[in-house]
Amino acid sequence: MKRFIGIVVIIAALAGLFVFGLIRGRPDRDITSNLLNKPVPNFDLPLHERYWAEYGETLDLASYQGKPRIINFWASWCGPCYQEAPELQAAWQELHDDVLIIGVQTQDKGKKQQGTDFIDQFGLSFPNVIDDDSRTSVAYGLFGVPETFFVKADGTLAYKHVGPVSAAFIKEKIAEVF
Amino acid sequence: MDLSLGQLGMASLWLAFALAIYAIFAGVMGALKRDARLQTSARFAAVAVFLALTTAIGIMETALLSNDFSVKYVAEHSRLASPTWVKVVTLWSALEGSVLFWGWLLTGYTALLAITAPNNVLRPWALSIMQMVQLFFISVVTFIANPFIVMAVPPLDGPGANPLLQNHWMMAVHPVLLYLGYVGLTVPFSYAMAALITRRPGIEWMTQTRTWTLVGWGFLSAGIIAGGWWSYEVLGWGGYWAWDPVENVSFMPWLTATAFIHSVQVQERRRMLKSWNVMLIVLTFSLSILGTFLIRSGVVSSVHAFGDGPVGPFFLGFFILVALSAFGLVAWRWDQVRDNAELDAAISREGSYLAGNVLFLAMAFAVLLGTLFPLIVEAISGNKVTVGAPFFNQVSIPIWLLIFLLMGIGPLLPWRKAEEQSLKKNLLFLLMGALLSAGLAFILGIHRVYPLLTFALAGFNLVSLGLLIGGAVVPRARLSGRNVLLVFKQYAFESKRRFGSMIVHFGVIVIALGVMASSAYRVDQQMRIDYGSSAQFQGYELKAVGPYTYPELSILQSGTLTEQDVSHISIGAKVEVWRGSKLLKVLNPRINRFLGRPEQPVPTPSVLYTPWHDIYLNISGELNADSTSVTLRVVQSPLVTWIWLGGLIVVLGTAYALSPSRRRLRETHELRGSAQA
Repeated sequence: MKRFIGIVVIIAALAGLFVFGLIRGRPDRDITSNLLNKPVPNFDLPLHERYWAEYGETLDLASYQGKPRIINFWASWCGPCYQEAPELQAAWQELHDDVLIIGVQTQDKGKKQQGTDFIDQFGLSFPNVIDDDSRTSVAYGLFGVPETFFVKADGTLAYKHVGPVSAAFIKEKIAEVF
Repeated sequence: MDLSLGQLGMASLWLAFALAIYAIFAGVMGALKRDARLQTSARFAAVAVFLALTTAIGIMETALLSNDFSVKYVAEHSRLASPTWVKVVTLWSALEGSVLFWGWLLTGYTALLAITAPNNVLRPWALSIMQMVQLFFISVVTFIANPFIVMAVPPLDGPGANPLLQNHWMMAVHPVLLYLGYVGLTVPFSYAMAALITRRPGIEWMTQTRTWTLVGWGFLSAGIIAGGWWSYEVLGWGGYWAWDPVENVSFMPWLTATAFIHSVQVQERRRMLKSWNVMLIVLTFSLSILGTFLIRSGVVSSVHAFGDGPVGPFFLGFFILVALSAFGLVAWRWDQVRDNAELDAAISREGSYLAGNVLFLAMAFAVLLGTLFPLIVEAISGNKVTVGAPFFNQVSIPIWLLIFLLMGIGPLLPWRKAEEQSLKKNLLFLLMGALLSAGLAFILGIHRVYPLLTFALAGFNLVSLGLLIGGAVVPRARLSGRNVLLVFKQYAFESKRRFGSMIVHFGVIVIALGVMASSAYRVDQQMRIDYGSSAQFQGYELKAVGPYTYPELSILQSGTLTEQDVSHISIGAKVEVWRGSKLLKVLNPRINRFLGRPEQPVPTPSVLYTPWHDIYLNISGELNADSTSVTLRVVQSPLVTWIWLGGLIVVLGTAYALSPSRRRLRETHELRGSAQA
């Protein structure tokens, strides 16, 4: 009998989990962050070579204080990141006067070349930095990739999104939170 | 009144449903009352259910091939201009059809079992369990995801099947293999349940289902490898496995099934691991249902989830029912399945099988955890997480290497207890093989730890196979004084099960080398080539000749093409692959746009297969018929062909082990002869 109770408990736990999953429905991607409405951690990270001419060899987030920033974390192994990259590029082409989009290649130790290939594949013209030891992703409390942080001109976090974004979604959110 | 195909199909589903209920009723009553007539009736009912579903399948294929868009499934998933083979396989390209197809295969196996299974105490219960499982599938397809719903206003044409699926012929093969695997493993599960119900947890249920288990395992292995090949040829990133939930859920039951086919041998030989074996087959079956639930419900987000539908809660309910009743039955009968014998020594055949079992289970658990982790975290904290390939690779590579190590040692160890002297001698040979191949790999330029270990273990395993064959053949040849080759031929012919397992293990070595080399030493580059000029890549010359189109450019530009003429339009590039002054192949990487679903263009890679490394070209970026250059993703994957080849060897080895051996044939003849006398 005791054994049976153990089995029931395990199956009930699994069942509970899945029922939760079913009720939740399609994963809704708005999640909170402890950083919300607080200043985001600063970073000063090396840029991929193709941005050196325009932005210098490293990018210091704080030096863009006064401008709304969108920070997108990605990795070369991440499927959804490939899905959203052209969307980010489209948003950047339209909005580059108003916001700065910054891509952060993270959780991708030693895969700089793959990062370059990723950038080339989509012709990303917004600056992309390399977070080789993933410290920045820890500082931002990253759960996975992709994640996108909307940072206000004063450097506080307005909104955080998990999962791929679309150009339309970015525009909508900018209108809403900035 | 004319009957439409939809109504006919619906009627055959209802008939199958009613017959399936009767079959269970008659089967269970027949088993309980030991009434032979009821049992026979249940067996005939099993055949009738199969015939009813065969009718349903026939009607669906007729509707697909005759473009009957009054049937909703056809209207939503087929298209007039699609080629015939696409129309045929559209049956399993979407949710409703694939559940129908799965159910049909299941009823086929059940009917075959009803006709061929030997008459004994287990049969009525095993058949009833099979029928309960098939009732579930029939109910889902009749009530929840019915493919025969009739459209009030039929459209003139439909959008066609999912472009990713109709883009490659592998789609005709991969799902069928996978389903045949899942369904095949339902048979040992049903017999295990029957054994528990009738309190006969001995080896009967396993020996009777050995063929079914191996058939199921072989199909599942083939299905997974075929799925990898499909990803390689279709998804365009030059890889074959991404630890996506869709892939993981097919992998978990394979892991537990692999553990199962090894540990049943321990029970056969040593009467041990009774409870293990029952648990493993219950786990295998539960995981196949759980996997279907995870994929079809959209509970875990997958990059390529095909077909969400309303079936999620039903598969969940069925999973809970299966897990509760099966594990509950094990717990209830615990006194009978508990092991009496104890392991004599850890270093023995059974010890190595047990260790292998633990590793397979650990791997299955890690994969399950990685797949469910995002859901668990979200349920507890509300936060979203993704678990990426790095986690799975970090966890699974060491486990794989350990399994690879055991695969070399295990079969050389004797049952019960190994003698120290022969063990030492064998180990010496094995280590020499490992060192030799690691040294060779080092000279060839492989200096990283995991690839070197893989190489070393491949040598280790090859020596192990050599020792196994030598140990069986040499003494016999010496005793009989006959030619070694002749003795080997006789051995391979007479011990088909043993020799088949060696072939399978050889296939695993080939796959391991392919996986190691293609993931550790792949070169992945992006390059733009102007038409008329060429680029260098890893000692090859890639010459972009000009645009590739389907249909031909002149037809495309004439504007006379109507939507009915072709199923898709391709735009790509003709790229010649040269090595030195020799033209190896003209590749046509392209983007296919299926006219029924133009919003989803499908990049279609083109591959030069060679034994040592593939050259894989995929279009990246914009490309039009009048472009003057092409941007390509160029991937060179060493030994990737070995994975498909190894998969083929595994399947052939399984088939060889299953082929009737001469000795067994002779026995059957003798039995028949004595029966006639």
